[in-house]
Amino acid sequence: MNRLIANLSCRRRRLGDAKRAPFKRFPSRFAKRSIYGAIIGAFLVSSAFAQSDAHFAKANQEYAAGQFKEAIEDYESLVRGGQWSANLFYDLGNAYFRAGDFGRAILNYERALALEPRHPEADANLRIARDEARALELATTRPERSLQQLVSLNQYAIAASIAFWVGIFAITGLIFARRRSFGSTALSILSLSIFAFATATIVWIDNGNKGRALAIVTDKGVEARVATADNANSVLALPPGSEIKILSKRGDWIYAALPNNLRGWISAKSAEPIRL
Amino acid sequence: MFDLRCATLLVLAGALSLTTALADSPSVTAVLSNSEAAVGETVRLQIRVTGSGAKPPEQIKVDGLEIQRTGTEQHYEMLNFSVSQSVTYNYTVLPIRPGKFKIPPQTVQMGSNTFRTQELTLTVSDSAGGSTRSNPSAAQQSTVDPKKVGFIELVVPKREAYVGEIIPVVVKLCLNARVRFQQIEPPEIKAQGLTMQKLEKGSRDMETINGATYDVTTFKTAIAAARTGKFEIPGLESKALALLPQRDSSNRNTPRRRSPFDMFNIDPFNDPLFGDLRMVEPQRITLQSEPATLEVKPLPPNAPANFSGAVGNFTLTTEANPKSVQVGDPITVKSTIAGRGNFDRVTAPGLEDDRGWHKYPPSSKFQKDDDVGISGTKTFEMVLSPNEKKQAVPPLTFAYFDPAKEQYVTLRSEAIPVKVEGNALPSAATSTTAATAAASAQSSPAAPGSSTPATRKPQDILYQVTDFGRPQSFTPLYARPIFWMTQLIPFLALLGFAAWKIRQARIDNRDAQRTAALQHEAADLMRKLRRDDSSPQEYFSQASRAIQVKTALARKVDPNAVDEEVAAKTFTLGETERAQLRRLFARNDELRYSGAKNGSGSISRQDRHEVLELIENLRA
Repeated sequence: MNRLIANLSCRRRRLGDAKRAPFKRFPSRFAKRSIYGAIIGAFLVSSAFAQSDAHFAKANQEYAAGQFKEAIEDYESLVRGGQWSANLFYDLGNAYFRAGDFGRAILNYERALALEPRHPEADANLRIARDEARALELATTRPERSLQQLVSLNQYAIAASIAFWVGIFAITGLIFARRRSFGSTALSILSLSIFAFATATIVWIDNGNKGRALAIVTDKGVEARVATADNANSVLALPPGSEIKILSKRGDWIYAALPNNLRGWISAKSAEPIRL
Repeated sequence: MFDLRCATLLVLAGALSLTTALADSPSVTAVLSNSEAAVGETVRLQIRVTGSGAKPPEQIKVDGLEIQRTGTEQHYEMLNFSVSQSVTYNYTVLPIRPGKFKIPPQTVQMGSNTFRTQELTLTVSDSAGGSTRSNPSAAQQSTVDPKKVGFIELVVPKREAYVGEIIPVVVKLCLNARVRFQQIEPPEIKAQGLTMQKLEKGSRDMETINGATYDVTTFKTAIAAARTGKFEIPGLESKALALLPQRDSSNRNTPRRRSPFDMFNIDPFNDPLFGDLRMVEPQRITLQSEPATLEVKPLPPNAPANFSGAVGNFTLTTEANPKSVQVGDPITVKSTIAGRGNFDRVTAPGLEDDRGWHKYPPSSKFQKDDDVGISGTKTFEMVLSPNEKKQAVPPLTFAYFDPAKEQYVTLRSEAIPVKVEGNALPSAATSTTAATAAASAQSSPAAPGSSTPATRKPQDILYQVTDFGRPQSFTPLYARPIFWMTQLIPFLALLGFAAWKIRQARIDNRDAQRTAALQHEAADLMRKLRRDDSSPQEYFSQASRAIQVKTALARKVDPNAVDEEVAAKTFTLGETERAQLRRLFARNDELRYSGAKNGSGSISRQDRHEVLELIENLRA
């Protein structure tokens, strides 16, 4: 009897081990690696952020000490590292302003505003830098200006997305409904209208004078010319910080839309695009 | 009669052929047009063969002479019914070096006979002048009037001008149409103290001048004097190689036979340009024009302040764009100066009053209306930036000297209305940084009378931000993959919603089908009930089924679950109808379960009517 009981308990233990085995192996291979990976990733990310924060703090200290060139170098190294924030570009713009390079100051204020359109400090300092440099701006129409000020491009994209799906759901409901209600019809029309408006606005702004092709003249004494030659006739003298819209590139030359509805060629080294 | 005529003709023909044969005794002679020549001076060699079927020498080779065959002449002569035929083979002999050359006897094959010419001697001197003989070619050169070959006409429309005034000049190169020319050099103006533009080749026409036809090529240019005084434009020169016809040397010193045209002095064959047209002689000729003088006067004193040296007659038009701007925004002022004069001295018109405006260096573009650029349109584009509120772009002024009126003229445009909004920029009048001022100065010097930009303390910028902020990207949201991945959520939701709706529709569809089937069954039953051909069992069964179906349709329930109570409740029947209904269902049950034997074998008309009325009145 005792033997029988011992045999039974032994079999039960073996069965229990067999059942538990796969669950025991799983965390050891998969979850452990995932956990380790996540920990290492988090560590790397946090250390990168900590490093960039330290770099940023150092550059700020140099700026406060009046060492603008050193501050510019440190800010620029952060930019080259791909750690971008509106505040970084704003501070870099300030450093350039203090160093007397209004063209690059304007460029970085514009970059700060491209990342964060409602950055009040960047907006204020951009106005001052433009006044100082007498920089020329590309003309925008009143509706374009109003739409840009209304919300950002990303917000237009979100609005377009939401409106699109609401419209599509409403239309689907209408298709399957026995009776077409006025509310569903009105909702679908309204949603799709909002979607069309938001999409058209994105396309318009993005391809407009202040869109993705916008660039800033950073060099001094830049003149737009009628042809790709240094001795070609001048179209317009562009003070540093002036806005241009890049239309095409040919070698070391940029064909650009200029302020006052002019067009001309300028050296590619003389201007930098706002969007990196 | 006919035979006599034929015989006469045959005799004449025979006599003619005999005389021809007699006259054609073959002979070969060679002759040089001149036994003396200079190097480069061509001499004609003729080999005359009397008779037919001769084969002349193709090449004659003599060291120091270049002999080329130039053509063949055939001559027929009839003298006292004696016809003679001769062929002259012409050659050009060009001496390459001086010396005494012997042209050896040449062999001419004529049928089976061979004939030889005599030996010829040619004495070649070093140059035409060095020749001991009187050079006939040189004599001919002197006999040809160069003016008949060609000439140059210099047309200067004015003899008096002002300093800087542009004077159009036309040069006509007239070449006799009967003479062939090679290597024509275009005329060239060389005058000290005058600036002139490149001689532009204009039209080419045929003109008759003094009875002769000339090929006239017109050249255009413009001259301007940089200082005062009397200038002489020397005669223009052009060199060309004329291929003049060579006259027969044997007739050179003898007068031509008189021609019937001689009495009217219009004999074209008396023209020295008409010689022996078979032979041409290249001659280098120099064509010249008469010189011209130009008196250049100084400009009057007291020139306007903005006078830049423009002399001529001009008009000024201006426009500005955009018309509505904010303070500090650029306005492009386009000014166009059109007319006739020295456009190289035409500068951009200046603002009459530039206070409150920031000016940028203008750009210019010239569009000429003629070949030499005396008349045209010069367009200037100047960017102005208002420093304060403005109602108009001030008038632009441009000063020039009008040589026709002999006075200075100042053109003044109208003020261009513009709308400048916004607050005045701080220290607007002098708001130019050193860097910008330098950039502007590089492009163009400051206009006379404009305010000198002064340096000022830059406005102070806002503080530094110490918080790095959250990392951001320049890529727009719609261009990021995460955005499009997020769209999968509503997409999947839409798919679920659509699936649910489709399922609902299918369910609804099944109900509709069932209702349609019941309606069809009810109609069929009513049709059967109206007929008199069914047995009582069938009749009551159909009647109770019709009630069940109608009730099922009204309540959306299974007709088999309907009894008389449910039907009465559904149609809210009165007591009488309820009783009728109960009786009907009871009768049906009775007939179904007890068989057809109970009761009569048929249903009375009254009963049918009552049942039908009851069923038809069942309405929910």
